[in-house]
Amino acid sequence: MALKPFHDPQDVGYRWPTVLAVLLHVGILVASLITLPSRTAEPDSSSIVQATWVSTETFTDQAQQVNDQQAALNASSEPPPEPDTQAAEQAEQAERAAQQAAEAEQARQQAAERAEAEAQALRDAEAQAQAEARRRSEEAAAAEAAARAAETQREAEAEAQRQRQREAEAEAQRQREAEAEAQRQREAEAEAQRQREAEAEAQRQREAEAEAQRQREAEAEAQRQREAEAEAQRQREAEAEAQRQREAEAQRQREAEAEAQRQREAAEAAMQRQLAGEAEAAANAQQAQQAANSFINIVRRAVEQAWIIPPGSGNNMSATIQVRLGPSGEVLATSVASSSGDSAFDRSAMQAVEQAAPFSELRDLPSDQQRNLRQFNLRFTPGDVR
Amino acid sequence: MNDNTMSIPHLIMSASTVVQLVMLILVIGSILSWVIIFQRGIALRRAKQEYNQFEETFWSGVDLNELYREIPADEPRHGAEHIFQVGFREFNRLAAKTRQADTVLAGVQRSMRVAWSREEERLTQHLVVLATVASVSPYIGLFGTVWGIMGSFQSLSLTQQATLATVAPWIAEALIATAMGLFAAIPAVIFYNRYANMSARLLGKYENFAEEFHAILHRNLQGRDATPPAR
Repeated sequence: MALKPFHDPQDVGYRWPTVLAVLLHVGILVASLITLPSRTAEPDSSSIVQATWVSTETFTDQAQQVNDQQAALNASSEPPPEPDTQAAEQAEQAERAAQQAAEAEQARQQAAERAEAEAQALRDAEAQAQAEARRRSEEAAAAEAAARAAETQREAEAEAQRQRQREAEAEAQRQREAEAEAQRQREAEAEAQRQREAEAEAQRQREAEAEAQRQREAEAEAQRQREAEAEAQRQREAEAEAQRQREAEAQRQREAEAEAQRQREAAEAAMQRQLAGEAEAAANAQQAQQAANSFINIVRRAVEQAWIIPPGSGNNMSATIQVRLGPSGEVLATSVASSSGDSAFDRSAMQAVEQAAPFSELRDLPSDQQRNLRQFNLRFTPGDVR
Repeated sequence: MNDNTMSIPHLIMSASTVVQLVMLILVIGSILSWVIIFQRGIALRRAKQEYNQFEETFWSGVDLNELYREIPADEPRHGAEHIFQVGFREFNRLAAKTRQADTVLAGVQRSMRVAWSREEERLTQHLVVLATVASVSPYIGLFGTVWGIMGSFQSLSLTQQATLATVAPWIAEALIATAMGLFAAIPAVIFYNRYANMSARLLGKYENFAEEFHAILHRNLQGRDATPPAR
């Protein structure tokens, strides 16, 4: 306790606390200044919003919406060409298919022609073969006839010889008779031989005829078969033709349907476009109306502020002043459209308009609106400017 | 340009005079409250340390006369030490004059109560300022904000087009006043509660010590009353 310092420790001075407090505040201020630039940079982006009119925004929005809709519609109306191209592709494909079918048909026709030509050739060959057979048989007959003629000649010669022998050896030559007998026998034998030959010949002829008959029959059979084949071929072709026709019919129907669909869509899109256009026109008109109204309001307020109502003018007096504006909003001319009867009152109204001019807000309006607003009437009544 | 106009120093500089005045008051209040916060914080901590030290010494079985003599009379003491000094001095003086124990004890109690009350005053010193700053600065800031918003609306009526750009700086600078008010008020409230609680607890300890000391003196007097008949 004796060691206690002379100065009382509980009597805290104010110097150090003050220094600490001031340091604390300065530190906080510096910290806020250092961190601020990064924080204030962010609100920058939101400052774009500040410049827009709240009332106008809704209208522009609507117009934009309409524009967007139309853009969307335009975008949607653009795709139809694609279906068109698709249809064209389809048509092209169909054409190609038809062409292929035609080619196939041509090929079939060619094949049929070839087959016909072959059949013709076959038939020709057959006819040739027949003719040859006939020729052969004729030749055979001719040969036979020649042989017979030669035989008869030979017979005649032998008769003559025998006559001669008989005449020459008439006196009796029995040996010769015997010889002659032998000769006769030989002749008879030759005769038999000839007969056999003739028979063989006939047999051959019959056989040839039968052969020819068989050939003819085979030919007829082949002919029938060919005809049947040709018939089947024709039937198949007819069927294919019918099939093709059905397909072409279906294709035509599909195309017609697609066409109708396209037309319906186009009509619908056109209607929607029209509706959108109307909506846009309405929105634009509304916007224009809004702009015009705001302009009129500005003009009204300016004129109202500039108007010094002459003393002694009654509350129910009214004058209408026609105002014509230049392109930049300056007043070109003012004229009294309907007088109040008091010339001082009319003059004060005209002076008010001239005082309030120029209305440079006119330049902010769209050009078509500007033309409409270049000339307007202002009705002046004390206490209320119209 | 935009971030320049929206920076806090720029906003403060471009604010209207009333709002600037409000801000100045709030800054002063804030600095004041922080000075008191630091000063009271140090003082209360020291008082607590001293009390703990003294209590340890007091209950260590040391002779009370010795303890009293160790405290220099010319040097003012604080806390429990002060109460002990005053009480013991009064006891010594009264015990020399009268033999009536009740009179002595009443005098001792009174003087100790006076000392306790001085200690209370010393401990809760300036805490009122803290309470005032805590409760008033939000209202002052709010007043600045209302004033600034009024100004912003007045300027708004003069402009043809009401855009955010024309309103935003006004509102921002108006809101800075509220922010400063809250900035001053929040620490003041927190530390006021903390220090009020600390001083109340310390005063409770002083009171307990005074009662205990009073009981010791009372025991002492009872013993002295009992001894004279024995002498």
